[in-house]
Amino acid sequence: MTQQTFKSAKRRYHRVFWPLMIVYSLIVIGGSFGLKQLDPEPLWLQTTLAIGCAIPVIGTLLVMIRYAEETDEYNRMVQLRGFAWGGILTVSAIFTIGFLQLFHVVNTIEIFWFGPLFFIAYGLSTYVIGGRQCP
Amino acid sequence: MKNIIRALRAERNWSQAALADQLGVSRQSINAIETGKYDPSLPLAFAIARLFGKPIEEIFDDEIDVQIAAQ
Repeated sequence: MTQQTFKSAKRRYHRVFWPLMIVYSLIVIGGSFGLKQLDPEPLWLQTTLAIGCAIPVIGTLLVMIRYAEETDEYNRMVQLRGFAWGGILTVSAIFTIGFLQLFHVVNTIEIFWFGPLFFIAYGLSTYVIGGRQCP
Repeated sequence: MKNIIRALRAERNWSQAALADQLGVSRQSINAIETGKYDPSLPLAFAIARLFGKPIEEIFDDEIDVQIAAQ
């Protein structure tokens, strides 16, 4: 077991997480503001901005997994159980809402919202399992 | 699994954070182990035993688990 495993994992997490969040915020805010100035909105720019927003989110997921791998064993257990419960709650919501749509009970819900739902479910699960364990 | 980490720590006037730093784990990990919420892995249990200079079985008491397993 290496000394400072937990602290160095936390440092490495924050070193990548915050720049990704800044890039994400800039693209979301700057992109939506910039697009409003253009009429018609060019498809290539819409596509670039959409993918540009998705890349930092994917990066964040990868950094979360790296943190779970590098941190100490107790935090790893908390993080992985948080991921599992976050995944279970999100997939359950997808199936439930999906069936409600198939049986014409509810109208179409944008698939985008399942992303934030996962992060909320993961955060709450992690909090319930381990208290204030989020890096 | 019960353990006497809290008592050993108190003898040395170490905080949970100080012990966590020496073991390279988080303070929450120490708290979870002390309260019996989490059982450490063998390498971590050995590291704890080495740090306090005691054998593992003196620090961790698995008597209850052994009784349950025997039933």
